[in-house]
Amino acid sequence: MKKALWLQLWILCLVAFASLAQGAVSEQADLQGMQEQKAVQPEAKQKVEVGVLAIRGHLYAEQRWQPTIDWLNQQISDVHFVLHPLNLDEMSEAVKFQTMDFILTNPGQAVRLGRQYALSWMATLTSRAPQNSNYGIGSALVVRANSSYQTLQDVPGLPVAAVSEKAFGGYLTLRYQIVEMGLDPNDFFADVRYLGFPIDANLYQLRDGNVEAAVVPACLLEQMQNEGLLQQGDFRVLNQQPNEHSSCAVSTPLYPNWSFAKTERGASLLAKKIAQVLLAMPPDHPAVIAAGASGWTSPVSLLSIDKLYQALDLHPLQQPWWSEALRWLRSHQEWAWALFIFVIVLNAYHFWLEYRFSKSKQALEQTSLRLKEKSEQLEHSQRVAIVGEIGTSLAHELNQPLAAIRNYSEGGLLRLAKKRPHEDIVPVLEKIQGQVERADAIIQRLRTLIRKRSVYKAPCDLQVLIDDTIELLHFRMQKQNISIVTSIEGNVRPVFVDAVGVQQVLVNVISNAIDACTLFQEKYHSSGYQGKIALHSDYQVNQLSIRVLDNGTGLQQENPTQAFVSSKEEGLGLGLAICRDVMEMHGGEFLISSTAPHGCLVELVFPYQN
Amino acid sequence: MSSGEKQLPVFVIDDDESVRDSLAFMLEEHDFNVTTFADGQSFLDEVDVQQAGCIILDSRMPHLRGQQVHQILNQANSPLAVIYLTGHGDVPMAVDALQAGAVNFFQKPVKGDELARAILQGQARSATNLDMAAAKSAYESLTPREKDILRLIIEGKRNIRIADELCIAMRTVEVHRANLLKKFSAKTVAELAYIYGKLA
Repeated sequence: MKKALWLQLWILCLVAFASLAQGAVSEQADLQGMQEQKAVQPEAKQKVEVGVLAIRGHLYAEQRWQPTIDWLNQQISDVHFVLHPLNLDEMSEAVKFQTMDFILTNPGQAVRLGRQYALSWMATLTSRAPQNSNYGIGSALVVRANSSYQTLQDVPGLPVAAVSEKAFGGYLTLRYQIVEMGLDPNDFFADVRYLGFPIDANLYQLRDGNVEAAVVPACLLEQMQNEGLLQQGDFRVLNQQPNEHSSCAVSTPLYPNWSFAKTERGASLLAKKIAQVLLAMPPDHPAVIAAGASGWTSPVSLLSIDKLYQALDLHPLQQPWWSEALRWLRSHQEWAWALFIFVIVLNAYHFWLEYRFSKSKQALEQTSLRLKEKSEQLEHSQRVAIVGEIGTSLAHELNQPLAAIRNYSEGGLLRLAKKRPHEDIVPVLEKIQGQVERADAIIQRLRTLIRKRSVYKAPCDLQVLIDDTIELLHFRMQKQNISIVTSIEGNVRPVFVDAVGVQQVLVNVISNAIDACTLFQEKYHSSGYQGKIALHSDYQVNQLSIRVLDNGTGLQQENPTQAFVSSKEEGLGLGLAICRDVMEMHGGEFLISSTAPHGCLVELVFPYQN
Repeated sequence: MSSGEKQLPVFVIDDDESVRDSLAFMLEEHDFNVTTFADGQSFLDEVDVQQAGCIILDSRMPHLRGQQVHQILNQANSPLAVIYLTGHGDVPMAVDALQAGAVNFFQKPVKGDELARAILQGQARSATNLDMAAAKSAYESLTPREKDILRLIIEGKRNIRIADELCIAMRTVEVHRANLLKKFSAKTVAELAYIYGKLA
């Protein structure tokens, strides 16, 4: 009996404890639920990743958007939204690799991403005052208030700060505006510095005078001034556009505001809920105020942004020209082949022409060479003919009186031998005198006939004359494989000479040197022989001395300047006589001598004053 | 040479007056009998070309050139000797002239005594030429009988042998011999033989 009583008591105690314990546990759970309403059982809820573009840094992004995320978490309790501040590149990556369920970004990036990846637009932010418009994004070109710049036209080429070349509000909208205004954007942004995110840095750089202007998204200046980061009145915005959508100063028209979008990863049902929640957000809710907006509306058209990208050649759907061309070629293959064959034929024709051209050029060169040779021969034979004709006529004309004189004088001598009287001799002598006069008349006639060329002296750069002369004889030297070197000593100065005459002298002297070298080669057949001519111009104090030295045969006769005496088979014996005459006419000297072991040295001396 | 030959005429043909005149003067001092002509035609018109004598001929003349004058003389079998005296001669011209029978070929101015020597030479040749021409015509005028007798005389046969061989009278041979001497203007048989030898 006693045992049953104990058992009853034990059971009673156990029940009582159990009921106590039960009460304590439920009490604890209630407390917890009261304290952490949002974070209750987080591991149980599905995580939803929301990427947001952090234009002013992570901290600012969290301040701006966390309230909105909180609102979503509060309204949609079966999932847990997590905020991820991202920069432009991280955002692109996130969409590409589907690491986010939803994104919240500016319209520029919205279009860039939206045209490449499947994004569903759910809602667009509306600006705050005054019209609650969907249009709130644009650029402001900010300068320091005390600077002298008044219009956009004042800024081109100056150091300008911008966010990045992909930044929409911080660069592209202004670039588009500049294109629209007919200015050259490359000129305008000749000295642009991309400072990246956070965009606050642009205005700090402007404030510190490191740049002359800064391109920033609309309203950034006003926000930073409100936050006390910048002084009111220190800055001005250029090219201010009248707009009813925003109270901020902007330099460009306004484009649609930030939008909320679903990526491929995000669930459609959830997206519907989110859209409902966002649209239902009251305008005075702290989350809306934190976002700097007046609420959310249904998504607006992004056409104006598409157009902007297209105008700047940056549209993501825009294909490079070559892919367009390739597509055209694929659909018009017959034309492509025709074009290809045309190009091949054209090329072949071109090469054929080139070949023909080079052939005819060679032939032309050959012909011109032959022509030169022939004309040289002709000139020489003409000279020979003229001199021959003059010589023959002169000889005949003079022969007659000479013959008569001889006859008379011999007859006279015979008369003297016969001891004829004095009177008989006188008429003979008179006749002789008559014949002498006749001979004299012939010579006078010849003199007037071949009156000498008039001489024109002028200051002349003899180095140019020497180069010209060598050029004239270049062909002959090349043919005979004779080299010529020129050298100069002293200060080159113009010399007062008759250029035509002096060139004649130079041609004669160099030409003689060439002949002498050729003759030496022919005479001795020396295999190691190389004909060489050295021309040295020595500008001395009072005179110019030109020395021409060759290693040819040297002088062949005693008095080389005597006229009509030549050692050459076809020579006239006039060359050096002409040289001597010309040099005498210049009051100069013409010296010629043989050198050892073989060769000839000619010295032409031109006094500066004569 | 005998002074008699110097009396043979010398004809100077040259278009240059002073040359003509001075040449005549000089040659006259050499005691030649000189006549001058300004051109070939007047010479041919005025002078009997079938006489002995010497011509001094310039080659380059207007109208008739020296060579043409020479050619005309040769065609006429003229005994006149030709000496060229030219202002502009060359070797081919000289060769042609000598082949055509010229005595000499001189270039102006010529030395007087050389020319005089050549003229004497020419005169002698011309005289011979004339003699030859006479002998030739004399020979051609002989009858066949006379030619036979002449050949036998030259062979050195006496009249009696000739008369025997030809079966004619001795007297006839004597008449023929006298005729032959007369025709050849020979005084002796030796002279006749000399002329005949030249003809052969």
